[in-house]
Parts: sequence; structure tokens; C-alpha cells
Amino acid sequence: MKRNPLTLVIGLLLIIIFGLLLFTFQVRTTEVAVVTTFGKPTRPITEPNLYFKWPWPVQKVWTFDRRVQNFEDRLTEGLTRDSFNLLTSVYVGWKVSDPTAFFPRFAGSANPIAAAETLLDQWLGNTKTAVVGKHPLSDFISTSDDGTNFVAIENEILAAIQSQLQTNNLGLQIEFLGLKRLQLPESVTQSVFERMTSERKVLADRFQYEGEAEAQRIRSGAERKAAEVLANAEGQATEIKGQGEAQAAKSLAVFQQNPELASFIFRLSALEGSLKERSVLIFDQHTPPFDLFRGVSTNLLNK
Amino acid sequence: MNDHDHPHNGLPEPVPPPETPVDAGSQALSEALRSSFAIVKFVMVLLVLVFLASGFFTVGPQERAIILRFGKPVGEGEKALLGPGLHWSFPYPIDENIKVSIAGLQHVGSTVGWYAVTPEQMLAGIEPPAGTTLNPIVDGYALTGDTNIIHTRATLTYRINDPIRYVFSFVNASNAVQSAQDNALLYVASRFKVDDILTRDIAGFQEAVRRRATQLVENQDLGVVVEQCVVQSSPPRQLKDAFANVLKAEVMRSKVLNEARSYENQITNKAGADAESLVNLAQSDRARLVRDMSAQAERFQEILPQYQDHPALFGQQRLTETLGRVLTNVQDKIFLAESPDGNRKELRLLLNREVPKPKTEDTKP
Repeated sequence: MKRNPLTLVIGLLLIIIFGLLLFTFQVRTTEVAVVTTFGKPTRPITEPNLYFKWPWPVQKVWTFDRRVQNFEDRLTEGLTRDSFNLLTSVYVGWKVSDPTAFFPRFAGSANPIAAAETLLDQWLGNTKTAVVGKHPLSDFISTSDDGTNFVAIENEILAAIQSQLQTNNLGLQIEFLGLKRLQLPESVTQSVFERMTSERKVLADRFQYEGEAEAQRIRSGAERKAAEVLANAEGQATEIKGQGEAQAAKSLAVFQQNPELASFIFRLSALEGSLKERSVLIFDQHTPPFDLFRGVSTNLLNK
Repeated sequence: MNDHDHPHNGLPEPVPPPETPVDAGSQALSEALRSSFAIVKFVMVLLVLVFLASGFFTVGPQERAIILRFGKPVGEGEKALLGPGLHWSFPYPIDENIKVSIAGLQHVGSTVGWYAVTPEQMLAGIEPPAGTTLNPIVDGYALTGDTNIIHTRATLTYRINDPIRYVFSFVNASNAVQSAQDNALLYVASRFKVDDILTRDIAGFQEAVRRRATQLVENQDLGVVVEQCVVQSSPPRQLKDAFANVLKAEVMRSKVLNEARSYENQITNKAGADAESLVNLAQSDRARLVRDMSAQAERFQEILPQYQDHPALFGQQRLTETLGRVLTNVQDKIFLAESPDGNRKELRLLLNREVPKPKTEDTKP
């Protein structure tokens, strides 16, 4: 009877494969797992690898997603310390950190992640109400601080929920938490709108009056400046003329030699200057040279 | 991939050892069995080859791949990432290759601060009708530092710089990025004044949002880098007119101010020019006065000796000469002869604003 060695090898291989399927399991890098022995969690696994286990009725493996879950809680209403109604909602990044603690609480439900989030939602609601009540509205919205109060509120919620998780030991870990919505009750929005409208009105009016007043200021300032410049220039011109007169006066010494002649010459040139344009002159016979008309030629000697 | 198991299972049956005496029929049967066994062997080897060959995979230019061996990444950090090209890994269930797209830039939009719009309205670019209130469940908005309500939304553009973290540490990392963006909008709006967000400091607001989002994404270690953040804000639809009026008033103000400034320019320039010409005139007056006086003095100097020689005659001569010159220039000359009886004569003047005609004046003898 001839046994084919190949047949043996193949048979062995099949047994090994079947055995591996029964006795081993893999945990991926995105998962954590817990091994239960007769339903009791006995071995948590947080590192990805290939692991051995006893086959089914003895041991069973439960794996959970270990990646960070995004969760946004319901919008809940809370009263601030100074009695404003504020609706808040936060986003949370959480993950399963301890499968042994997580398993007994949530493995029973069809979707352990959703079940955990339902619980988180309840706790967050209470935590938020408590934290919001400790802060005035100006900690949430303010133009005077640089956001430290806002961050402080987020940190308070985070710290509170984390300590709650720790006391209850759910095997959950919160990676980050932040406010996602910050709103007012619907009825309040209307009064905010009314206030905003009147603020806008005030602002529009202010712009208008400010503009007019400022324009007026500019105009009058310009007029004053122009008048100043002109006055300065007039002063300067007077000064210059004065200088000219002073300089010209130096020549008076020359005329001083014979004031009579000087005055005569000045009068002559003034007369000439004043009669240059479009003048009408009326003479009688006494004015020289019209005295010639009187036929008196001898006045050559009289005058 | 487990198909190769089945041929193995079917294998032992076709090889029962031939025990019957050799006859033609059984010999033919054993021949047939042997040859079919050879075929099965060949098929098996082929299947093993196919199994191994199925471990080949290609990585595209915008992708990286990570091999998980028994669920654990092969290699550490950057070394675990396989670049574009052909690669080989053991087939499942030993290895598993996971491809990660690092394609260019990813976008997430944040609408937590925007009023509810249906996709159709968004496409058509129309706004839903505004009610008198905002329902917090459906309508998003942000509260500003000065307790105003505004709408604001943002699009964040980011790049994956740590694909291992991005894929293996988060169920949905882009969702986490979006949450960070939402928080950034809320946070920054709560510290800004409404006018700064909407008109005065749009860029500053956007920059602050970008900074906050970048910081959050870094703190939460999402494995991404924020590239760009575009923010769009608008006043509530309910108050559109009120906000528009403020804008109009602001425009009006700058118009009025500009007019005033141009008036200012004009008037000061004119004053400057006038002043300059005034000074110039004075300067030329001064020069002329001085020159005139010195010229006259010179002339006086010259004629003084003549006058001293014949004072009376000189005076007469100058007077007559000057009169003669004056009379030549004068337009109308009227001479009143003395009447012989010595009576006074009456002269009537008709003054006219019009250009005087040569014969307007009349003389009454």
C-alpha cells in the first residue's frame, strides 16, 4: 500500500490551518480586545499582534475600536451665573482605553460605542449645566479678555467629565473637548435683534453727524489757515515796502540841497502823472500857456 | 483567497491504491488516475503561486501604503510608509496592506455658524426667507464679543502630514478637523466686535480663526497641517437693511470728508498763491521806489546847477514844458475865454457812466 507523501503534507497543512483558526486571533492596530474565559474578562489586549486563545466554549475574544471617536452632544440649556439662558453643545474626541473596564458595561448592547455615547451625552449635559452656572456671560463672550476664560470653561467641563469617568471606571478616555455651539434661546434672539437694530441706527446717525462736524471743522480750519497765510504775506509786503521807503529816503539828502526846487519837481511829475489818461481839462486865460490867448505876451517879465 | 483549500480537500479520494489484478480495464483506470493526479499536482502548484502572487500590489502617486502583519504595522514611523510603485506583502490573513490617500489638499466646511439652507437653495444662491427669530436647533449663528448675532462660516484647507496617525488613530479625522474649525469660529467670534468681523477687520478675524484652528489641530494631534482658512461672515438676514444703512452712512461720511478736504486744498493753495504774489508785488514796488528815487536824485543833481544859475526862468520853462506835454495827452481840452464884460460864465457838465462820446460836454458861452 503506497502512501503519497504529498498527501500527508497537505493533510498536515490543513490540520495546522484549522488549528490556527481555532486557537489564534489577531488584534489590529486600530483595535483593543479582551479575552473572556467562560464569560469572565481575563486578559486585556491593547497591543496589535497575533495571540493564542482556547477555542470557543472556553475563551472568547471581544474587540473594540480603539480609534478616537467624534461625538457631539445635544444642545442643552443652562443658566449663567448672571442669569442668562445659554444653549451649549460640545464636541468630544474619546476612545476606549481599558477594554476590561469597558467590556462589562457596554459589551451587552448591540452597539457598544453608541451605548457609551448615550451615557456620555447624559453626563455632559449635567456637567455643562454645572459649569455654565459658575460663569457669568462675560466669560463666554467678551471683547476685553483674550479668550482665557473661554478656554478655562472648556477645561473645566473636560476636567469634570474626566473625573466622573475616572470614578466610574468605564474604560473610556477623553482625548479632547471643545465648545461647538453657543446660542441663545429662540425667544431671546428677537430681543437681541431689536437691540442690534437700535444700535445700528445709533451708529448710522453717528457716522452722519460725525462726518458733517468733521467736514465743518476741516473747512473752517482751512479758511483760518488761508487767512493766516494772507495776513502773514501782507505783513511781509508792508515790511518790504517799508524797507524800500527807508532805502529811498536815503536819496532825500540829495534833494535837501534845494528843497524848493525838489518840491517843484515833485509837483510837476505828480501833475504829469495824474493827467495821463482820459482827463478833461478846463482852462481859463490865466493858466499858462493859455495866458497867451489874452494877447499879453509881456508877462514874460511879470512872472 | 482561501480557494486553495478546496482542491486539497478533494484530493485524497482519487488515489486509492490499485489492489485488483492487472487487467486492461483497471490498468486503464490507474493510468487515468495517475494522469489526473498529475493534473491536480500542477493545479496545486499553480494555486500556491497565485496565492503568493496575490500579495503584489501597487501604490499610486498620491498614495502611501502601510503593511499590517498580524494587525501590527511593519516598520516604525516614516519607514512604515511605502511610496508609489509595486510592492509585495504576504496575502491575508498574514499581512494586510492599507492604502492611504495623501492626495493634495483636503477641505472641510464649517456651517455651525450659518443659517439653515437646503442644498437646492445653496445651489441657486438664494437665501431662505428670514423669520423674526433664529431657532437654535436648525439655524446656526455665532455670538460676538459685544453680544451681537452674526452668521459666519469657514472652509479649512489642510494637508495630511502624518497619514498613519490620520488613518489609524481616528474613526473620522476629517470630522475632528471640522469640529476644530467650528470651535475656532465660535471662539474667535466671541472675542471680536461685530463691526470688526463684518467690515473693519475681516482679515484679522480670518487670521485669528486660522490661528485657533491650527492650534487646536496641533493640540489634538490629528496628523494634519492647516494650509488655508477662508471665512465668510454676514449680518443676520433679519437686519440686513439696518447694517446696510450703517455702511451707507459710512460711505456718505467719507464722501463729505473728501469734499471738505478738497475744499481745504483749494483754499489753502489759493491763499498760498495770493500770498506769494502779494510779496512779489511788494518786492517789485520796493525795487521801483528805490530805483525811481535814486534816478530822480541823480537828475536833481544834474539840474541843480542850471536852476541855481537862472531860478525863475528855469521854473517857468519846466512848468510850460510839462504843461505842454500834459495837454498833448489830455483827451478833451476846454478853454474858457474870459468874457469882455468880466461876468462869470456858467459851465454845465453832463456826467455819464457810459463811454464818453467826444461831444458830450457842452460849453455855454
